[in-house]
Amino acid sequence: MKRGVILGIILIIAAIAVLVSMASEFSTYETFAQSAKFPEKSVKVVGVLSKDKSIDYDPIKDPNLFSFYMKDAEEEERKVIMRSAKPQDFEKSEKIVLTGRMQGEEFIASDMLLKCPSKYKDEEIFVRAETGKLN
Amino acid sequence: METVQYIGENLWPGRIGHAAAVIAFVSSLFAAFSYFFSEKSKDLKESANWKKLGRFGFLTHGFSVFLVIGLIFFIMVEKMYEYAYAFNHVADDLSNRYILSAFWEGQEGSFLLWMFWHIILGMILLAKSGKWENGVMMFLSIIQATLAVMLLGIYFGDVKVGLDPFILLRETMEAPIFNEANYLEKITGSGLNPLLQNYWMTIHPPTLFLGFASVTVPFCYAAAALWTKRYKEWLKPVLPWALFSGFILGTGILMGGAWAYEALSFGGYWAWDPVENMSLVPWLIMVAGIHMNVVSKATGQSLKATFIFYLLSFILVYYSTFLTRSGILGDTSVHAFTELGLEWQLTSILLFYVGIALFLYIRNERKIPSPVKEESLSSREFWMFIGSLVLLFSTVLISFTTSIPVFNKLFDGLGMLLGMDFSDFHRAAPEDPVAHYNKYQIWIAVMIGVLSGAVQFLRYRESNFANHRKKFLIHSGIALGLSLVMTYLTSWIVEMYAWQYFVLVGACWYGVISNLDYFITVSKANPKLLGSALGHVGFGLMILGSVISGLNQHHISTNKFAQKGMIEGFSDDDYNKNILLIKGKPMFMSGYMVNYERDTFIGQTRTFTVNYKKLDDKGEISQEFNLYPNVLYNKAFSKIEASNPSTKHYLFKDIFTHVASLPKAETDPEYARQLEDSLKYISQTLIPGRDTFTMDSLEGWITKLDYNPKHEDYLPMPGDLIVGVDMILRKKNTLLEFPASTMAIIRGSQIVRIPALFNELNTKVRLTKDVFDETFVKEEELEYKSYVFKQGATLKHAGIPITFTGFGKEPTHPGYVPKEGDIAFDAKFEVNTGQERQVAKPMYLIRGDVPYNLKDEIPSLGLHFIIAEVDPKNEQLIVNIAKTEPREKKVTLEVAQNVPSSEYIVLEAIVFPGINLFWFGSIAMLVGFLVMMFVRLRSGKTT
Repeated sequence: MKRGVILGIILIIAAIAVLVSMASEFSTYETFAQSAKFPEKSVKVVGVLSKDKSIDYDPIKDPNLFSFYMKDAEEEERKVIMRSAKPQDFEKSEKIVLTGRMQGEEFIASDMLLKCPSKYKDEEIFVRAETGKLN
Repeated sequence: METVQYIGENLWPGRIGHAAAVIAFVSSLFAAFSYFFSEKSKDLKESANWKKLGRFGFLTHGFSVFLVIGLIFFIMVEKMYEYAYAFNHVADDLSNRYILSAFWEGQEGSFLLWMFWHIILGMILLAKSGKWENGVMMFLSIIQATLAVMLLGIYFGDVKVGLDPFILLRETMEAPIFNEANYLEKITGSGLNPLLQNYWMTIHPPTLFLGFASVTVPFCYAAAALWTKRYKEWLKPVLPWALFSGFILGTGILMGGAWAYEALSFGGYWAWDPVENMSLVPWLIMVAGIHMNVVSKATGQSLKATFIFYLLSFILVYYSTFLTRSGILGDTSVHAFTELGLEWQLTSILLFYVGIALFLYIRNERKIPSPVKEESLSSREFWMFIGSLVLLFSTVLISFTTSIPVFNKLFDGLGMLLGMDFSDFHRAAPEDPVAHYNKYQIWIAVMIGVLSGAVQFLRYRESNFANHRKKFLIHSGIALGLSLVMTYLTSWIVEMYAWQYFVLVGACWYGVISNLDYFITVSKANPKLLGSALGHVGFGLMILGSVISGLNQHHISTNKFAQKGMIEGFSDDDYNKNILLIKGKPMFMSGYMVNYERDTFIGQTRTFTVNYKKLDDKGEISQEFNLYPNVLYNKAFSKIEASNPSTKHYLFKDIFTHVASLPKAETDPEYARQLEDSLKYISQTLIPGRDTFTMDSLEGWITKLDYNPKHEDYLPMPGDLIVGVDMILRKKNTLLEFPASTMAIIRGSQIVRIPALFNELNTKVRLTKDVFDETFVKEEELEYKSYVFKQGATLKHAGIPITFTGFGKEPTHPGYVPKEGDIAFDAKFEVNTGQERQVAKPMYLIRGDVPYNLKDEIPSLGLHFIIAEVDPKNEQLIVNIAKTEPREKKVTLEVAQNVPSSEYIVLEAIVFPGINLFWFGSIAMLVGFLVMMFVRLRSGKTT
């Protein structure tokens, strides 16, 4: 059984070492203001799309440049720039989770997760005769 | 609202279904109790009676669940929208072939699918498990009871337990429409998510859930062995079940990858998404369990590990369900289900299983036999144990990062208990999850690669390695040498950016070569050992394939010259993943000449034809192929529901392509209208075939005025009046001519114009609304004269001889579209002026008792023909003929310049080299499980 114990100890030590190293790579949820303090660190910012501000994507100029404005949890609004195509149906998103960092006044996003209105939450009843939607 | 008497609701399926769900729950508990007493009873006869009751209970349970499933299908097929489940998952226009997909789209349906497979497996166990039946079926029945709870939808006080799949729509929400007694006549379901309307959704969930269900059987065996204290006898009967589980769960996971790769625009088959991870983790544990099962069966070592792995694998399946169903993953996964208020129920069931497993294991831990003598360091069983620890280690690492949202919740819980705010401890997934997971898992793969090769040459219960050492070293040496050579060769084809990848590729080759060697030289092609060799070779090739496709996958949709205007903050052109393709304008990208040729609509689906020409060093075309990515619009054509990729498969690589974006004008009708309104059209009047117009730097002319034009966007209807022109446009003083056609239609009182688009010149041309006045003579200005014609007769009108040459039974009139029941013919008139012979074919049609006469015209002569009456008795026709001056017709074009291009797509194209190696390796590995399962089943029969 001795060998088993030794193996176990080695394994646990290795696991702790690796897990600590992994945890150091974890990102954190921040606001724009906090992110601006540590521009070198990649963070996640949760917020909602500012629908009154412009959403710019002109693929004729550059199909890999997309920008919009987002309000974070503290209602602070920043311009967000992404080097990618605009996701289909972006305007209908309910909540946005950005990954990236602040640069000056703008947030440079490397990734984005959209949460669209769920079928289960804001239910709509579709009326057959296309007279519109009731709610 | 409570007083409304609703019309047309069918409440009986719901009542029966709800009762069946309750019976399913009660009967599974009954089965569990009966099996419990059957096992505990000392009296043989009494035990047999209890067993009969247990079987009765389980079969009743199975029948009830099948009834629930059947009724849900019934309400879905019958489109009974009074039920929320039908309303949420089907719609009037949803084809019945998607009913299965719609059934398991929902939470309740997928729980039922899981239970369905448990019942099928349970029935096999009833027939085959023999003396294990009591224990195994008791635990299976307990598990079924906990799942059945999820379907009860019963309130205990204020607490709702489970979701009733038969809940009525009007019970789930409040809306004014429910004040109307006949609300059912007015509503249609919201239907199945279009992303899920494909065959993958039909085959993937049943496979994956069979995989999940299969993990339950080894759990039940392990639990039953602990409960009945038969610690070793279960090792043999459980092994084929575990191998089946390894096969089918692996297949389910792989299918998920294939779905993501083939049909979704994720651009890959594995993204380390939490939902993917949590189905991989139980599989890895199951594989570790299988290895320990084999070891303990052969040597008696690692028996405890076998128990632990089999118990753990099921708990992890449930943990995975908990993560995906409780909504806790919400922010981190694209696959996550929405929260349905089941969190606490799922948590308590999870804790219940953990409790059972811990209780049984800890109570028996000391009694589980293990050999006094430790395995020797050079024995096969020792290193297989190490291998299983490596797999366990891998799952710990994967689960750790995947469980970040759970840790956050736990911090919240702790904070609430202590009255402190721990939200500073909240973490999120790493910036680049794929890199994060790969960085650690690469070493797992290295260890597995090496172990899977070397351990094959070790022997069980090794007591004298010295005798065997030479043979071991020779085989290992050869494998090492060959794998170094193969790694070197691989580095020629595949760019390996870091030394870690060299190690990984070397380890994979080592595993592959050793196992081939083992199969040929040691096992002497013994079919019994085929499964093991195949499984390990498959694993090695799978990892190799994923390294090659992962490292060397690259976007070809970049054009370094076209993409300018780098933004500060972006390191380099790694971000340039997409390219803009204008219709008909070939673009050069990374060695390919790519052209967006055309698009076609079929229903809601718009398919794009994208032509690829591979250019060699000399700029000549070496290969050519078309890809057909498509997008799916919603019913109003105002939104894109899904973008489906198209992939060109080669043996050594795939070219994956999908439409990343479309012009706003094509997804937003309102915007398109504004855009059209902002165009400035300038009129140009000219005589076809003669005049040329000029406008700024453009010049153009009409080549043909066409009274029978065809256009891909025009579907002819009877009664349509049409006219069109073929025209040419070019830049002044250049020779490159751009041809196009445009046409106009009068249908009823509406004029529809189909414009011609010159994308290359940013110009749009349409006909003027007055084009019919310009090109047609007004009927009221014509002076018709009636003539009576017999076949063959020649009469003169305005001095021109006109011959009626005969009837045509299949009219070719441009304005005529045949319909069943039509009585239709045309009459052919030949006109011979001496210089030229011309033909007119006016047409006569009776559709539903109403006669129509469709006129024909010979424009160059100014002759007009209408069949006024038909006299079948005397076989003669009364025809009205009129003559006008033949004139040179002028046509007015409206030309708009500086038209924003709206005929383009934004395309993403990725090359995946070596991806077939990944699929081939994965499939070989899974077949390995299957082969081993059949070998074990056969050996079970012979002994």
